[in-house]
Amino acid sequence: MRFDFLELPSGGSTLLRPVVPVQVEDLAEAPQLCLVDTGSTHNRFGAWLAAAAGLDLTGAPESDLAVGGVVTKARHARCDLTIAGLRYDAPVSFCDPWPFAFNLLGQEGCLRFFRLELCVAEGWLELTPEASA
Amino acid sequence: MPSFTIAGRDFELVRSLVERSMRDELPDPLLEHYVIVNGRRFPPKQVLASVTGLDRADFTSHQARRILMRLGFVAARAARGAEAHAPPGGEGRGPQRGRQAAALEPYLGQWVALAGPTEVLVAADSPQEVLSWLSRHGKRASGMFRVPATVAEADGAAPA
Repeated sequence: MRFDFLELPSGGSTLLRPVVPVQVEDLAEAPQLCLVDTGSTHNRFGAWLAAAAGLDLTGAPESDLAVGGVVTKARHARCDLTIAGLRYDAPVSFCDPWPFAFNLLGQEGCLRFFRLELCVAEGWLELTPEASA
Repeated sequence: MPSFTIAGRDFELVRSLVERSMRDELPDPLLEHYVIVNGRRFPPKQVLASVTGLDRADFTSHQARRILMRLGFVAARAARGAEAHAPPGGEGRGPQRGRQAAALEPYLGQWVALAGPTEVLVAADSPQEVLSWLSRHGKRASGMFRVPATVAEADGAAPA
């Protein structure tokens, strides 16, 4: 499935970001636009999203992560994500604080399940579920 | 203080009262017309119902618009699609030719839910407010995120 890059206002110009809508658990009314981050090993989401999706993180393993210069408390859990029509069980680190504009889709929680094609010149990306997914 | 008769009842309204009344309100979905209150676009009937306590069925959209314009609020017709967000400097870059960036420009730093590439359903200061609004109105967004407030943030940095 192909997704247009998101156009962001950027001081009078436009900045293009490769994002895809991600449904977290059954939160179908509000898919989250998440940044496809090929350099990230794991999915990193804001912790508020776990609460909104009804995920109980009590007892989930925790660790401190440094992301973009911010040290954040991450609680690691598995949850259902739906991307491009494919619902799958993914590892996600729910982080607090998470001051960033976007959640991040990384290798283990996303790109392991999809083949990614990017066209920056035309501003789109395409995700195709892996045959093994 | 201007007075108005609405649905057989008399009201004395001033602009500041309307602005105070709408300070913590999120706009309902826009249909044909809107008025700008506190920098946000609201359906005229939502504003008048909020400030008077009347039911929206007690007056028409035209009546609400006329009263609010008399109080000095700007009213306009909601544009749809491409005409709504023409970038100021002509066509820009990107798959939407800059129209999406233009549509998002008023919402810097806010959480938004989109109905389409250039249509913002709702904007609020927190994600919980956006989710609550979607649930209340039975609406489904095509995407939700926080519009970066600065160029650095848009590029992936944390807010200063």
